Order: sequence, then structure tokens, then C-alpha cells
Amino acid sequence: MKRNRKLVMAALTLLLLPAAPFLFAGGQQEVEDEKNVIVYNSFLSDPDARVVDEALVEMYQDRNPHVTVVHSIVAHETYKDALPAYLRAENPPDVLTWMAGETMRFYAERDLLLDLTDLWADESWDEDYTEGFRELSSYEGVPYFVPTNYYWWAVYYQKSVFEEHGLEPPETWDEFLEVCETLKANGVTPFTIGTRGRWTAGGWFDILNMRVNGPEFHMSLMDGNESYNDPRVLDVFENYWRPLIDNGYFIDDAAAYSWSEAIPFMTSGEAAMFLMGDFIRDAYPAEYEDDLGFFQFPIIDPNIPVGIDAPTDGFMIPANTRNPELAKDFVAFMGSLEAQEYMAQELGRLGTHSKIDRSILTESQIQGIELVESADVVAQFYGRDTHDEMQDRGYDAFVEFWENTGDAQRILDRLEEDRVRIFQ
Amino acid sequence: MKSQRLVNRSRRKETRTAFAFLLLPVTVYLIWIIGPMLYTFYLSLTEWDMFTSPTFVGLANFRRLAADPVFHRSLLNNLKWMVVFITVPIAAGLSLAMVLNRKVRGSTFFKASFFMPMVLSLVVAGLVWSWLYNPAHGLINTVLRGIGLPQLARGWLANASTVMESIIAVGVWRQVGYVMVFYLAGLQSVNKDLVDASRVDGAGSWKSFRHVVLPQLAPITTVVIVISIIDSLRVFALVAVMTDGGPHNASNVLANYIYLTGFQWYQMGYAAAIAVVLFLLAFVFIVFYLSRIAREEDHA
Amino acid sequence: MPDYRSRRKVRKKIVSWIVFFTVLLVTTVWLTPILVALFTSVRDYDDIILRGFFALPEEVSFDSYFAAWRQGRMRQYLPNSFLITLPALGATLLLSSLSAYAISRFRFPGRRPIYYMFIFGMMLPLQILMIPVFGLSNAMGLYDTYIGLIAIHTAFFLGFNTFVLKNYMSTVPPQIFDSAHIDGCSELRIWWQIMLPLTLPAFAALATLLFTWIFNDYLWALILVRTGDKMPVTTGLASLQGEFVTDWTVIMAGSLVGTIPTLMVFVFLQRYFIEGLTLGANK
Repeated sequence: MKRNRKLVMAALTLLLLPAAPFLFAGGQQEVEDEKNVIVYNSFLSDPDARVVDEALVEMYQDRNPHVTVVHSIVAHETYKDALPAYLRAENPPDVLTWMAGETMRFYAERDLLLDLTDLWADESWDEDYTEGFRELSSYEGVPYFVPTNYYWWAVYYQKSVFEEHGLEPPETWDEFLEVCETLKANGVTPFTIGTRGRWTAGGWFDILNMRVNGPEFHMSLMDGNESYNDPRVLDVFENYWRPLIDNGYFIDDAAAYSWSEAIPFMTSGEAAMFLMGDFIRDAYPAEYEDDLGFFQFPIIDPNIPVGIDAPTDGFMIPANTRNPELAKDFVAFMGSLEAQEYMAQELGRLGTHSKIDRSILTESQIQGIELVESADVVAQFYGRDTHDEMQDRGYDAFVEFWENTGDAQRILDRLEEDRVRIFQ
Repeated sequence: MKSQRLVNRSRRKETRTAFAFLLLPVTVYLIWIIGPMLYTFYLSLTEWDMFTSPTFVGLANFRRLAADPVFHRSLLNNLKWMVVFITVPIAAGLSLAMVLNRKVRGSTFFKASFFMPMVLSLVVAGLVWSWLYNPAHGLINTVLRGIGLPQLARGWLANASTVMESIIAVGVWRQVGYVMVFYLAGLQSVNKDLVDASRVDGAGSWKSFRHVVLPQLAPITTVVIVISIIDSLRVFALVAVMTDGGPHNASNVLANYIYLTGFQWYQMGYAAAIAVVLFLLAFVFIVFYLSRIAREEDHA
Repeated sequence: MPDYRSRRKVRKKIVSWIVFFTVLLVTTVWLTPILVALFTSVRDYDDIILRGFFALPEEVSFDSYFAAWRQGRMRQYLPNSFLITLPALGATLLLSSLSAYAISRFRFPGRRPIYYMFIFGMMLPLQILMIPVFGLSNAMGLYDTYIGLIAIHTAFFLGFNTFVLKNYMSTVPPQIFDSAHIDGCSELRIWWQIMLPLTLPAFAALATLLFTWIFNDYLWALILVRTGDKMPVTTGLASLQGEFVTDWTVIMAGSLVGTIPTLMVFVFLQRYFIEGLTLGANK
């Protein structure tokens, strides 16, 4: 019994002793001189993107040795959930990465972002950025955002697989279906996709709806001005999307995989194509990257203007930052030509700065720029263009449709109920 | 008269001392647990996007709940979880306890194996099982294809028809050892003489288990059932890690739906209303448990 | 008669072997997930994809562990978990020993309501506290700090601890304290020098159990700590799944590494762990 007691004592001390100092050392984390510290939270969490982001911070630090940048990278999905808290916090991070357009305006509308009019003027961005980018960064004419890079969505494919089966990137819907059929006949699943994160399905809805009904209708739907059970939307689901799924043009059990988990189906040769944003390169195994090509999603109706998803990312500053001047200085650097050229070279994203030297870009980047510039309308993305809750309901609906392709009417009717409630 | 005053004074002193001891813990508890709980009730009657101040909307959130299919699905899933939790792990845990309570070869090892899943965090359990369930390369489908049953292989977490059961299975995997611990402890206090007596009277082992052992375990069983019910209402991490409620909400549960509405769509009032429903479900069992404790207190 | 008896013996033996093998089988199934995690963690993911799950690895590699440790940042998450768990564990045990002492030792008005309040909170589905606790910690400037997380853990487990400790303390004969009291000991000294040593076994049991629970918490970490370098193991691992290009060998390695601390506690303090679980139920 005595020995037992000793053992217990020992165990307890073991567990509790290390606790003691922390109990009293509570608030010691913020000892540094806050005047020269900026906290920068970023969502560039994919391995390649992370390296570039860290390098840019280092470049800034080298130039401003008196400033300490406290840099945290947060997983993309987590970041999205955390953003409202960052913005509302009493001592928010000073600089945040985010996405341009509606999803940024949501916060600007609630007075949570710092007005960047003077920064835009001082850096002469008013001239250096095109009108389109300025519009994407503004709410009611006032810029709250600094766009620094964008990328495009396209159909990525393995060149070697296409060669093996004598295929060319299709330009029309019929050619596209033929490519899928040929691949399937040869035992290759045409498309890989992972819909676990749901948004990948949104990419399909965006492009099909823009191709079939035109970008104007699509954007109006995003703004909540069209019905989801409109016959035109049903047409997309029933006559374009459904045959692709029913014919087995996608890998099985897509809902089990995240988007990056879907990549190995391509590299292993089981599947040949992936509708994706260019950030697919951040996750694509380096040894296969030379084999990776992309083409514009085929035109379905040549009489309809061409739309494309090309989302823009950049920076914003919370309204109650304690260090607005320093935060602006940091964002000025991130928006500078130099930083953008570095990012374009190292990460393959396209810079938003109109003076970027195109000779430093790769062939695929040039092809990407052409893709975007040849489009009549540039959309951001389903989740970026529409209301936040609508996005969630929409993604669920797309994934549900994926599993129950015969239920389009029912699913769209329910989505319409949600739209009415959300946009009332 | 004087002694009465003395008693009163020492009473008052005792009360003062007691409250001195209670001051710190009760304050912390009120601030972090009770206060927030009450605030949730208030929030459920408001609309609040976290950025502006809450606006009072009466019972509007609850009316919306009544017509919300995702809420219905989540509630149903919690009930499903509850039904499984008060049957399967309890039956399995009790059987294992009965077997391992006797001197079986290697019973220490066996016991430890069943305790093991409890030590893993739900996050780790969820990740490991997600990998087991992986349709293309996971263990389960690989085995099914290997033993000539490819028709049984499926996307366990990708189909609405199997996803909830697949996640509950992980919950059961963790819960069995937990329940077993309780029964093993309970069996220590089962009166062996009574069991032996029943055997002498010619009762078979099943009969003596049914009529002698089981009744003696009844108090433990009550506790285990209450704990299982509360646990099945608390379910969150497994779902959040394995599917995030998907595909298309087929595996959503109330706790996860609160998280989604509150922290992804910033509809704090609506999220609070779901929380209130969750609270009411738990409340029934909490009151039952409290009244049991109150009775014991009275006997003490 | 002897014949009958030996037949019965044989039957009994057969039954006991059947039972043994059934249990063995079930145990194997139970341990499979852990073994799969181990097996996966020393393999190469491309190899699994190309040659299948059961293919014997050409080489055993610990690369996944290095990847989980460095790029997966387990080297950051693990210490973070301790920085959260240990202070919370100490604080909640200390505070609950105060409340349990008061409730078990004194008779005073409001004793029952206070006691029931603690039990009530212990059974609450904690998700209903999510939103206000988030708001509270934000308002107090504790958002994204360990202190907020430590505070909620400390508070939340007060209920369970008080319940368990109060029951345990009630079994101590009150005469011990009365005589100490008469000897002029202050209540604070009685609590510290008599009650605490007497209830150490309960503390040991609680501590091992709470260590596991707090260390394994996901919900509060998810809501209260949002910066990558401050995350504990649980949320860190969960985000590994999203941000690390999905490589299951790395995720399995990370999961195993993240389990080591609780596993150690379990292996070395199993008895207390089990005791802790049943303390609340048995009196």
C-alpha cells in the first residue's frame, strides 16, 4: 500500500510538474515590440505555393530588417472558416490573403476591411492594373483589395495518353464526346475528379452552364436573379452533365477523394483528364509534369460568348489592424512588379500587373494568358461568384446529382427553394 | 438559547468557508460553461452574422428548422447513432467482459487490445479508417476483391447509402472497449456466492447469467446507457474528419451542422437554434441521471 | 458417474478453446486498423497505388515519418499539444479539488444546486457552447492563444472532476478532519495537507484520463486556435489531410507519431486510466 502511494505520487508529479511554469507564464507570447511586427496569415498551403510564399516574406524582411513578419500558413479549407474570426478579432492579423470579387465584397460591405484608395494611388496601381482587376478589388468604387495573381481553369490531360490513342485536344462538343468514347473503349477512364471537397463539381457546373446558356445567364444566376429550376439549368443537368456521368466518363466513387487524391489516377494511367485550376501543378508530381498539357473546355454552341473561370487572389487588410502603415507597406511589396514576376516564375501563376515582362513566362503560362484573354467573360468561380450559403447548397446539390443523376428535377427544385430564401 | 446561537454562528462560518473554496471554481464554471449555455438560448432567438449585433427574430429560426431537410437528416443520423450505440457496443462489451473476467489465456493482452482504440484521438481513428475505407487502395476493398467478393467492394464513404453506417462502425470500434471497462468493474462487485448458488440449484450458465448476474449489473447498465446516449449526441470529430457531413449531407449530424451553419455561413442564430434542439434531446437524459444521483444523495 | 464427469470436462475444454479462438479472432480484427497504419507508414505511396495494398514493400522506408515530422510539422504540433494539455490538466484538477472539497465536507445552503450544476455541465453536449465560447474568447482577446483553449478545458472538465472527486472525498471519514480542525488547523491546510494526500489515487486516475481527453480534443482546438503554428496535434493532423498533397503513408505516420504520448500514458498508467473511467460510475 505504501509503495503504491509512492508510485501514484511519482506518476502525478510526472504529469503535473511540467505544467507549473506554464500556469503562470500566460501572456508572454507578445513581448516583442509590437510597432514593428506584422502578422501575415496566408492560405498558400500546397507544398510549392508554401515555398514561394515563404520566399517572398523573406525578400521583404531582407529589405526591411527592422520589421518582423510573423507568417502563418493555414490550410486552405481551414482558412476559409477562420477568416471571419481573423477579421473580427480585437487584434487581427495585419495582412490576409484572400480572393477577389463577391467573396471579398461581403466583408467590405460590413466595414471589416481597410480602405486602400491611397495605396492604389501611391503605387500607381490605378494605371498599372487593368480596369477589370480594379473592379474586382472594389466595393462601391473603393478598392479594399490588392490583386496579385490569377490562374485559369481548363481541361488538363496527359499528352502521352492522348498520343497513344491518336487523340487531339477537342474543340467542339462532338469531338469532346468522341475523345471520351475512344478513351473509354481503350480502358482508360476519361476524367478523374475528387468531389470530397465538393467545389470540383462546381467547376463542372460553371463551365457547362456558361457553354450551354452563356456567361451572362450564368452570372445572373450567381447573383440570385435566375431560378435554379429554370428549364435552361435543367437542360445543362439532363442533356450535358448527366450523359457524361452515366456513360462512366468519370472515375468511380469520386466523392471519396479530395482533389489532390484524384491526381494519382491520372499519373498511373487509369484516367486521362482533369478539369482543374492551374494550381494542379502545385500538387502534380514533378516527374510527370512535362507530360501535363491543357486545353480550353470545348465550345458547345459557337453562337454563345465564351466564358471562363479565372479566379484572382490577392491581399486585404483588416479594418482594425493596429499597424495600418506597415501592413500597407508589406502589401505594396507583394503587389509590386518584382514580387509578381517572382511568383509568376516560381509558381506559374499569372501576375495581375500589366507591366509584367512576358518573356520570362513559360509556354504554358503564355497559353494560359491567351486562354483568358480570348474569353469574352471572365468569371471567378461558383463559390466566389455567388452567396456563401448558396454556394454550400449548390455544391451539395451537385454532389447529390453526381450520385443520383436521375433526380435532377427534384434536386433543382430544392435548390430553387434555397435560392429564394437566401436571396430574399 | 446560547448554544443555538453558537450553532448558528458555526453554521455561518461553515458556509463562509465553503463559499471561499467554491468561489474560484464556480466563477470559472459560470463564465465558461453556464453563461455560454444561457447565451446560446438567447442567440437562438436572434439573427446574428457575427459582424453586426444580433437582431431579435423570435421563433423564426425554429420555424426554419422545421422545414430544413438537412436538419432532419442530421437529427435522424444522431438517432441512428444512438440506436446503434445503446445496442451493439453494450452487447459486445458485456460479452467480452463476461469472457475476459474469467481466467482466459492472454486475457490481459485481449483487454488491452480492446482498450487501445480509446487511447487514439477521434481524429486519428477517423484518418486511419478513412484509409481503410479508401475505395481504390484501402484494405477493406482490397480484401473483398481478393477473396472473390468484388461485388461487395464499394465507395464506403462516397455513397449516401453506406456512409453513415461506415462512420458509426468506427464509433463502435472505439466504444466497445469503453463499455467493457465498465462491465469489468461491475463484475468485480457481483456476488459470487449468489452465482454459485444458482449453479448448484441446477441453473445453466445462461440462466444464471440472465437471472443472477444481469440484475446485479443493472445499475452499471443504466450508467452505460446514459453515457452512450450522451456520446451519440456529442458525435462530431469523426464526422468532421472523415466526411465533413458529406456526400450531400448523408452523414451530417447535429453537432457538425451547428459548426457548418455557425462557422462557415456565419448564421450564428440559426446554429444556436440547432444547438438548443441538441440540448433538449440531451436534457431528458441529464435530468434522469441527475434524479438518480439525487436519490443516492438522499440515501447517503 | 466418472465417465459422465470426464465427458463433461472434455466438453468444457472444447468450449473454452472455442471461446479462446473467437476472442482471438475478434481481437485481431480490433487491432487491424493499427497494424494497417503501421504497415502503410513504412511504405511508398506510389508503390501502394501501382502494386496494391498487400504487395510486400521492396524496402521499408521511414521517409513518411520524416515528411510528417518536418513538412507535416508534427515537430511543431506535438509540443503545442503539451503546452495546452499540461496547464489545463493542472488547473482543472486544482480547481475541482477545491469545489469537491467544499461540497463533500461542508453543509451549507445551496450545496445541492451547486453540485448538480457541476454534474449537469459534465453531461452537456459541448457543441452547444461552441458559439458563445468562441465569442467570449474573442472578446477577451484570447482567440488564437493557448490561454483561451486552456480556460475552456479547465472549465469544462470541472464538472466531471468535481463529481468524481466529491464521491471519492465523501468516503474519507470526517472524524479525521474534525480532530485536525480542533487542533487548530485552518481549512486550507486541512485541504492541502490531509485531504489531497488521502485522495491522491483518485487524482492519479483522473489525471491519466484527462490527459488523454484534453490531448485528443478536436472541437475546441478547431474553434479557438486558427493559426498553423499554434495548432495541437489533432487539428494539425486533420489539416494534414487537406493541405499535404494526399499521401496516406505520411498521414498514417503522422497519426502514429501523434498517438505516442497518449499511448505512453496508457501503457505505463493503464491501471489508473481504467480506474478513472469507472470512478464516475462506481461508488
